[in-house]
Formats: sequence, structure tokens, C-alpha cells
Amino acid sequence: MTQELSMEVNGIRRTVEVAGDEVLLDTLRDRLYLTGTKRGCDEGECGACTVIVDGAPVHSCIFPALAAEGAEVRTVEGLAGSAGRLNPLQRAFVDQAAVQCGFCTPGFLMTLTALLETNSSASDCEVDDAIAGNICRCTGYTAIRAAVRSLVREGGA
Amino acid sequence: MTAVGMGTSRSDADAKVRGLAVYGVDYREAGMLHARLLRSPVPAGRIIRLDVTEARSSPGVHAVITAADAPEHRNGLVLLDTPFFADDMVLYEGEPIAMVVADTATQAQSAIETIELEIEELEPVSNVAEALAPGARLLHPDLDSYEILPGTAPWPKGGNCGGVMSSDPGDVDEAFEEADVIVEDVYTVPRQYQAYLEPKSATASYDGWRWTLNVSHQFPYKARSRVAQSLGVAESRIRVVGHHIGGGFGARLDLGIEHYAAIGASLTGRTVQLLNDREEDLLSCMSRENATIRVRSGLTNQGRIVAREFECLMDSGAYAGDTPYLTSIVLLMAGSVYRVGPTRVTAKSVYTNTAPSGAFRGVCGTYLCFALERHTDRLAQAIGMDRREFRMRNLFEPGDSMLNGQTLEDADILREAFDRVEDAAPWDKAGKGPLRGVGSAAVIWLTNPLAGSATLGIQEDGSLGVSTAATENGSGAVTMGLRQIAAAEFGLDADQVYVTSPDTDTQAYDAGSQGSRTTHVVGMAIEAAARQMKPRLFNIASGLLAVPPDDLELGGGRVSVRADPSRAVSLAEVARTALGAGGPLSATGTYSVPLPKWDPDSAEGLLFPVFPVPTYHVHQAEVEVDPDDGSVRVTRYVVAQEVGRMINPDGVYGQIQGGVAQGMGYALWEGLESHRGRYTRRTLESYGLPLAVDIPDVEVIILEHPCEAGPFGAKGVAEPPIVPVAAAIANAVSDATGADVTSLPIDPEELLAAIDRLQEG
Repeated sequence: MTQELSMEVNGIRRTVEVAGDEVLLDTLRDRLYLTGTKRGCDEGECGACTVIVDGAPVHSCIFPALAAEGAEVRTVEGLAGSAGRLNPLQRAFVDQAAVQCGFCTPGFLMTLTALLETNSSASDCEVDDAIAGNICRCTGYTAIRAAVRSLVREGGA
Repeated sequence: MTAVGMGTSRSDADAKVRGLAVYGVDYREAGMLHARLLRSPVPAGRIIRLDVTEARSSPGVHAVITAADAPEHRNGLVLLDTPFFADDMVLYEGEPIAMVVADTATQAQSAIETIELEIEELEPVSNVAEALAPGARLLHPDLDSYEILPGTAPWPKGGNCGGVMSSDPGDVDEAFEEADVIVEDVYTVPRQYQAYLEPKSATASYDGWRWTLNVSHQFPYKARSRVAQSLGVAESRIRVVGHHIGGGFGARLDLGIEHYAAIGASLTGRTVQLLNDREEDLLSCMSRENATIRVRSGLTNQGRIVAREFECLMDSGAYAGDTPYLTSIVLLMAGSVYRVGPTRVTAKSVYTNTAPSGAFRGVCGTYLCFALERHTDRLAQAIGMDRREFRMRNLFEPGDSMLNGQTLEDADILREAFDRVEDAAPWDKAGKGPLRGVGSAAVIWLTNPLAGSATLGIQEDGSLGVSTAATENGSGAVTMGLRQIAAAEFGLDADQVYVTSPDTDTQAYDAGSQGSRTTHVVGMAIEAAARQMKPRLFNIASGLLAVPPDDLELGGGRVSVRADPSRAVSLAEVARTALGAGGPLSATGTYSVPLPKWDPDSAEGLLFPVFPVPTYHVHQAEVEVDPDDGSVRVTRYVVAQEVGRMINPDGVYGQIQGGVAQGMGYALWEGLESHRGRYTRRTLESYGLPLAVDIPDVEVIILEHPCEAGPFGAKGVAEPPIVPVAAAIANAVSDATGADVTSLPIDPEELLAAIDRLQEG
């Protein structure tokens, strides 16, 4: 059984048929072909699937697709600005070498976007707390912290 | 112009922060089918019934494949002990038994659930002790008849041992008689899961003769040969195309699930995608093996080590995988870093009814270093000598040899590394205070020598293309290191150099991202290609400028007259001219590292005999232990690492910080323990990966001793930062609490008990 789901994804109104027990991650990846959002664990642990739903970061691998009905959903593909310019957080990840294999990167970007939108002067501790739901196996986190720090120092994202 | 030693951004970062990088799991083809595996629910047993009738007629199902449809011969990395699908016996929980190919993954899974599987369970051979006990059930009764990889010298094996490496110089017992004190220790370590964030996947298609595999694999040419071997076809009938890799750390060097996708494709005539979910990935992954290490050393009261016995039992799981190679590393480490006198070494790869183990960054080096350096602390303590002083007295000097007879003329770098750590974090002042401690560890590590290649092409727009089957596993070796080396060779900005992704149909052999080899080996191949191309490039420019080639120089995207740089032609013009003057400016370079000399009589079963292009490493950890819960906080961590020459500081620092973080996980939290053949931690959540809050910023000291045969002097960098971490932390924790710390991950309960003893004492 499928049901109709209407939501705004990265500013575009999307209406798709989804299965009743479908998670938002599958809708994004397999129906809307937004494969920037990654599947790492299926249990809301690794954070690679993080997207922003109505301003709040959620683990889309355990978030029911139908719960996004009428919502504003933002994914990593929606971060770049006009003419495809990287936004300051993306730019900082590139410049501070916060990207290695990059599979966790979309999730970190979405979690940190949500953080910086509510707290543009986040301390290292606040950053560590915010990303407690995101795992990076490559970097040892230092460069990710440095990327955020570079933005906070510059006066916010 | 981009110089060697400058920080440059990786060329794949832009696509990765946009979410546009296509990983193996993101690859799709219109109309592709989806497969799911039926995996053994038990660790040991005999299949008495496998009925797939209902699955075959389930909705959307195109094929149900079992051992009856698959090649009968066994495959393997070096010992061909592994069946395509389990047929008669199942040897580990998670072993593939059948595969369903259907229109959707959901349909495939539903069909899997209709398969009637009956297994007569057997008591699993659940650990190394059981496997080696007299009368133990043999996992491979036909071991003696198994083939080995062509070109490999046979090695001792038998019973439940897939490989035995042994070395006995003959004078060990006499040497022990000179000892004033003898110390014997036993160390145990669990498995460590690579826990790359992208689960394994494979997408295969078949055109009636050849297979194409779209994968994220660290070693596409190995994927090619292993798929060919398991299908029983020539390697050239397999094409492997590599995509972005969501972490590998060694787990994507051997065959994963590629051959299942391949047989699905040839039996259905359709493109087939197979994706692991996280639980099956964890249960079936070739993780770092668990091991038991026994070390016994004799020393004099003056602090000289005079004799040693060293034994290592590695749990290979149900199939040998890479462990027949790894036993050699035991010989290479048991008498390195410190002078130890005559040493007897035995290492065994042992079969158990658990998932096959395999390569993880640093392989067995991580736990060998843990055992050796814990033991070194214990030796110092046994004669009441300061642990650093003891190390300095026994430290290798230039010209000392490892137990394989390999001589290290540059071993004085070890002392330099200890000195530099001392300058940064003086030993006598480190780790002071209640429940605080300091520990250090040192290691000599290799640069993997296996062959690689690169093809350079100056494009008609003046940019430089680097085409190589080397893989970018995330380290930056390709997207930073190789780009930077190529840019520096031609006097370009790194932005003017692009690198392609691997495709075994179009690029020559490369041995994959393992053992820190990519920058070193493929960098040398780029230099070789540049040497071939430059004479022609200068000749063409010479014709355009009417100046002899020797009077020209390359830089800034131009060839200019040395005496009058205003007279110049652009590389673009040279490249366009070349098209009508003999063809495009293209050259291929190849390289493999010449092996250092060793003594072939030093051991039996030595399949991996040397440490080529050795590098030197000293780590020092300071910790604080929480008296309430026994948890360990690493308060300071210093690394002194010798790299030859640093090509890109962002890459080097990133690898050291990341490697240390993985080592901290190994020391303090991670571990796949098993009980009666079943892993007890079965999800990423319960596995215990380090989070940001757990990992401090590592202090890095880079030592540069350029290597004559290395691109701009560079040696391998990325693998070794994980190797000494558990050792340094364990020594610091023991210093803080008095706990023995003989096993990993370090047990908070053991620390609480030790703290109680301290307080009582």
C-alpha cells in the first residue's frame, strides 16, 4: 500500500507515492534520487542520513516519510547558494580539510547547519555536543571542529 | 605554482560537500535488479535441507542462486579455502548460502524469507584455544588438498592452522641463561571492525562474455582477480570501475560481495545490485583478527634484554584470508625498535567458527606493538628502571637488524623521534597527579612496495590529466598527494591537474590503497612518466620558440626561454602542436619498490619477508582515569612521525589525527567479542565508535628524512599512525592506576579494582 506524500524539498514542492512504513531516507534516495543523503546504519546512530525537517536535524533513516507531510525538508544538495556557490560551512569544510572519505560529510553539514542557525557562536563543547549523533571514522574530528571554529571566528555562518 | 609541502584542497572535496559524489551505494542503472543474500544464522553446522522452490516463484524474483548453480571450486586471497556459497557445511554466522535476485530489494528479501533451510547445528569451534586443543574438530579436513595462489611458495599449515611462521636461531635457551630476570606476559585483543560508514556494495552487469563491476573498492585489480578466480574465468573478462569510497581502512582490499553480484548478473542477463545492510556488514566483515600473544624476555640487572620468546596466535575465522601473510609481520616486529638478543618466534593463523578476519589499517602491528610495549614497560619495572631510560638503553642504532636480517641504516631516526617528543612533552613532568599517567610506544613500519602506474596527458587546454587505477580511499593520497606531485613536476597549480577514477579496462595495474603505498609508489610512477614526456615537450617547444631545448624551462603553465622568460609558449600550445607532430603528449610510468635484503633462512613460512622503505614512529600519551567509573580520558597525545618528505600537510596531519582516533577506539572502547561463535555487539550503536567528544586534538611532530627513491623524498604516511596508539595509552593507564592492562579494550572494571588496591595500599 502506498500513500501520497507532499513536502517541500530544498525549496521545491514534491509529491510522491510512498509505502506506509517507508523512512524518509528511502524516499529521498530512491524516489527523489537525492543520493547525497547517506545510509550508514539504519538505526539513527551514525548520522550520515541527517537532514533538516522544519528547522530541526533528524536522522532520516528512522524518520517516517509520512511524518514529513507538509514539511520543509532540506538536504545537502540544497546547501549551495545561488549559481552553485558553496555556502560558508561547505567552504570551511573544504578549506579546513574536514572532508576525507566524505561519506559522513552530508550528515555533519546538516547537523552543523541546524546548530549554527540557532547558535552562530557555538563553542567547541557545544559543537561536540551537537555532533554527538554523527560519526566520522576518518578525520578524528579535529578538522571538523576547526571548520566550525573558522566560521565562528569570522562572525557566524 | 603549487609546491611540494604546501597545503592544497583535495579535488574531490567540492563534490563531497555538495552531496554529488557518487559512491558505490549510489551507483544506479535504469532497470537494474536487486539482490539479497541468505546468510547462515548459525556459526557451525551441516546443511541438511535447502529448498528454494517457493522463493523461485515469489513475486518479482528473477533468480535464486545456491551452491548448485555456482562454481564448485574454492577461492581465496592466498589459500584457496573458501566456497562460493556454503554447500554442505556452514563455518560461520553470516556465511552466504543463497542469493535471490528480484525487481526490488524488498521482493528479494521477502523471497529469502520463504527459503526452507535446515541446519544440523554443531558445537562451534569458538576460539583459538579450542581449535588447537587435541582432538579438536577440523574446520577444513581437506586443508592439505587446497590449492594456493599461483606463484606463492608453499608454507607450513595443517590441522586447524591455515599458516604457521616460525623462526629459531638456535641459541635462545643459552641466551636466557645469561638473564638475571625473566619476565613473561600474555596479552589478548579482540577483533576490531573497520566501521567504514559506507556499507559494502557491488553492482554488476554481463554482456554474454565480460562482466562489469561498479564498486567502491580499495584495490580494483584485486577485485578483478578475485572475482575472476571465484567465477573460474580469465581476469581479462572482468572490468572493475571504481567509485568514491566511503571509508575502507583495509576492509575493501580483498573480495567482498562483488562475486555474488557478478553471478547474479550472468545468470539473469541483467544489471544486479547487492547492498549489505549494516548488521550483515558488521557480522560478515573481515575485521582485524583477535589474537593472543605470549612474550617472555630475559634481561640483565643493568637493563639489557638478552633473549626472547614470542608467540602469536591469530584467529583467522572460518577462512584464512590474509592471515598467512600476517604471521610474517610477527617476525618483523618481535625484535625491532629495541635490541632483544636471540629470539624464537612462532605465529599461527588459526581457524575458528567465526567470520573470516582480514586487513584493518596497521593489521596485526597494532596488537603486536601493544604487547611488545606493555612488555617493555614491565621489563623496566622488573629491574626498577625508569621506563624511558630503559627504552633509550635498548633502542636500535643505525645498522641494527630486525629478526629477518633486514638492516636499518637509518634507525637513528628513532632516537631523534624520542628526543623530539621529549622536547615537546618532557617525560619527567608528564602525566603527574593522582590517577594520571604517561606512556610511550615506538614502532618501525613499512611502505607497501607493490606495483603501480600512472598515465599523464597534457591536455589541449594546458591542464594535466593523471589517469591511474590507484584509489582515493579518503586519505587524500590521490586527490591531494598525487595531484600535487604531478603539479610540482610540471610547474603547475594543483588546480590545473585532475585525476581520474579507476577503471581496470583503461588503466594499468595498481595494487590499491594499502600500506601507505599510493603517494610513494604512484608518485614514483608519475615521476617516471614525467621523465618520459618532458624531452618531447621541450623538443616541441624548442621548435615553436626556435631555441635549443636545453635553454628552456617549465613553469606557470608555460615553457619559457631561461635567459628571457618573456619568450614563452603555453603548455596548451605545445599540447595542440604535439597532435600534429607525432601525437598527443602522453606517457605512462610504472614503479614497484625494490625490496631490501633479508635472510631467507631466518624463518619458515615467511610470505611477507621485509619492511620496505621503513618509517619511524614514537607516540606518547597522557591520561587521567576517573575513579567513579574507571573511564579513561586522554589528556594529551603527542606523535613524532618520520615521513620522508611531507607532500601535503593537510593530508599528513589528517591521517595522523584520524589514525590516532581509530587507535584510541581500539584501546578504550571498540571490540567484536564473540561468545560461542556469535558476536555479542552486533550494531554500530553497541560497537562503541569514538565520537567527537572522545577525541582530543593530537600534537604532531613531523620528521623529514627524504628518501632517495621516493617522489620528492616522500615515504608512506597514512597507515602507521594507528599502530602504537593502544600501546601508548595502555602504558599510560597502567602508570596511572597500577593495573596490569593485558587486554583490549581497556576494562574500566579492572581499573576500578586497581584503584581500590592503590587506595588500600
